[in-house]
Amino acid sequence: MPLKRLFAISSLLFLAVLAISPAKNALRPYRSFQRRFAELGAVRAKSQKAAREYEKRPVAIRQIWLREFDDRVDRCTTCHLGVADPLMQDAPEPFSSHPRTAHTPEGFERIGCTSCHGGQGLATSEQEAHGTAADAGPPMTPAAYIEAGCGRCHGGEAVPGAPRLSLGRTLMARFDCYACHVVRGQETFRSEAPPIETLPLKTGGEWVRRWLKSPRTLDPNATMPDFHLSETEIEELANALFARPVPDGLARVIRAASGEPPGSAASGKKIFSESRCISCHTVEGKGNGSAPELSKIASAATRGWLLAYLRAPHSFNPRTRMPQYGFSEAESRDVVAYLEEEFRDFEAPKEILDPLRPNQTVAERGEKLFQRLGCFACHGPASGSESERFGPTLDGIGDKKPASLDFGKRVDLPRTLPAWLAAKLEVPRSFAQGLRMPSFGFSPEETRAIATALLALGSEPVPEAYRHTVKRPPAVLPGGETGKLLDRYRCLSCHQIGDRGGDLATAPLTYEGSKVRRDWLVDYLVLSTSIRPVLEERMPIFRMSRAEATRLADAIASFWVDAAIPEDPFAGKTASEADPREGQRLYGELGCRACHLIGDAGGGYYGPPLTDSADRLKPGWVFTWLKGPQRWRADVRCPDHGLRDTDALRLTAYLGTLKAPTGAKAAGGEK
Amino acid sequence: MRTAAASWLATVVLISAAGCARRPAAPAVPAAPAEPSYEMRLGRDVYRHYCQTCHGETGAGDGFNAFNLDPRPRDFSDPAFQKKKSDAELADAIRRGGSGVGLSPLMPPWGRTLSTQQIDQAVLYVRSLKKTSP
Repeated sequence: MPLKRLFAISSLLFLAVLAISPAKNALRPYRSFQRRFAELGAVRAKSQKAAREYEKRPVAIRQIWLREFDDRVDRCTTCHLGVADPLMQDAPEPFSSHPRTAHTPEGFERIGCTSCHGGQGLATSEQEAHGTAADAGPPMTPAAYIEAGCGRCHGGEAVPGAPRLSLGRTLMARFDCYACHVVRGQETFRSEAPPIETLPLKTGGEWVRRWLKSPRTLDPNATMPDFHLSETEIEELANALFARPVPDGLARVIRAASGEPPGSAASGKKIFSESRCISCHTVEGKGNGSAPELSKIASAATRGWLLAYLRAPHSFNPRTRMPQYGFSEAESRDVVAYLEEEFRDFEAPKEILDPLRPNQTVAERGEKLFQRLGCFACHGPASGSESERFGPTLDGIGDKKPASLDFGKRVDLPRTLPAWLAAKLEVPRSFAQGLRMPSFGFSPEETRAIATALLALGSEPVPEAYRHTVKRPPAVLPGGETGKLLDRYRCLSCHQIGDRGGDLATAPLTYEGSKVRRDWLVDYLVLSTSIRPVLEERMPIFRMSRAEATRLADAIASFWVDAAIPEDPFAGKTASEADPREGQRLYGELGCRACHLIGDAGGGYYGPPLTDSADRLKPGWVFTWLKGPQRWRADVRCPDHGLRDTDALRLTAYLGTLKAPTGAKAAGGEK
Repeated sequence: MRTAAASWLATVVLISAAGCARRPAAPAVPAAPAEPSYEMRLGRDVYRHYCQTCHGETGAGDGFNAFNLDPRPRDFSDPAFQKKKSDAELADAIRRGGSGVGLSPLMPPWGRTLSTQQIDQAVLYVRSLKKTSP
């Protein structure tokens, strides 16, 4: 009976179909992974007993349950069985042990896996867990962006062990991302970009056209992006900028300065180099590069403007990091004469600084464009405090689902968040017509770094217990006359004080009063000698008066001291009892001369020369520093030798004998 | 009867087909840009910050501070040196410095300044400085 036979066969088939599901479970890859891991462990185990331990482990789902991290459950260790197993260092995947990081292997139980790597912790199949299956949740973070995980818990700009994340955060501030985009914690951010109120008296129409066309072509240090403006748009914006009224006070100063007689370029050259302009600016690429390139500055700004700006930069841009030097009228004329002689664009047309006569109709269109492009976000008026942030908020961008992203015209991109972010940063307007975000010209590494920082911006903050931001002590900042001096010389542009200030200088001022001798400091402020000649970023000679220097030195001596640094490390005994000769022997034995130079005895150029250390440094500081340099500056290269107190005192006593030969001391630039 | 049997068969075939069908393949995740591993990057940063001044950018022992030093800093690009020393020996020299391993004290001991991990990362990077072409 063929029909009966057909029924029999189909019943058997049906039975087989029913068995598929349990069979699939029994054959799930993690089971074979666990069996293979047991075999591998047994082979690698150092003892019979340890081998049996591997074999005895039951085949089962394994998980890390993070009760305090929103009850997160990570089952990654179901397959990644060797992550915490030192025997599995070079084992094949998925068994290899986790690279050592600040959190591994110690932190697995507290941090789990997905908090850093992303992906689906609950899943137990590779495709679902890694998020490569079409219907899986957000996928794992690719290795290139792994430091985004660090940024979920670690706030602040610099995160140790996460250089890419740290770079990304630095770049986001440097390129003014926060001026247009809302990001939690950056509400008070203001761009340092100059207000453009004095532009009609600063430069010419042709320069503005060139600048708007491509800022980076004119100045490689420029942080202003390329807005891909058409010739018409450039003309409209240029007209608008030249149609704006220049504030009366500044206009008067600039016009008066432009009528002054020219100064001496030779004298200006000397002042320029003493002023250490390249500590921030560059000249033909040489210098720090956090401020504009100067080699063509005289073809970008008029003589009157340069003079007026040099004399009072803060009245032009209150947000600038540039200090106000104490140049006399004649000295500033000399500096500008030097700039005009040397720092010109010899290929530029001679009318580059000719003012543009604005056409009102074109200018009005330009004003609208100025608003539409959001130029005001960075170039707000000097007096304004807050500007509207019109860009989309970036909080939560790291948790966006690929399906919610608009890839627009970019059909070439993989449908992933990191790919989308990287493309947005590289060619922002390639996604659709009419997008406003400009191009910043980021390098591939910069793009990766910023994408990492963006991926760290989750929609919800991690639980309180997991949040970590290094807190520096709050800055003690005096007011009154001293406060005015700090502001005038912009000490905080380069030096850290407590939780404030930049990091251009190697010396934080937080404990400077416990570190250097007051008399030395007065001389140094008046006429700074280079403590580290190998650096491009050196302390400028501000041409401050001795009275100002004394006031600052007194404030430093009284405000910025640290109780952990004793005034007298010898506790009442004399330094000679600590045996400076023994100290000198130690100096040789420890190899200090590899980096430090002492007068004619020579030595390396890397650390500060110690020739006059007795004049400069307080013994209590030397002693405390020697006991652990990294306590005072975490990344300092002076190695911690783990010195005993007696040896540190001997070295302190030796350095206490090193005085500059008399007559060689700074003469003091009295004015 | 024949129709019933045919539809029964069709159902069975459909069910089994559904059970066996694979999920549609996911779009490819972008291949991570070819670049050094996380540990190698950290090792490179440690090297650049602490070692490069004397040992030089390429590890040839020609950093800008090297000319002050006698004996000269070790040349890491030298394949013979790389072959002679084990990872543990390199890490030990970094940790205890020149005087710790019977060499010049001008190489400082970094054991109290760098963590074990940082030293291992630095060794990893130093290994990558070996000159490959003769």
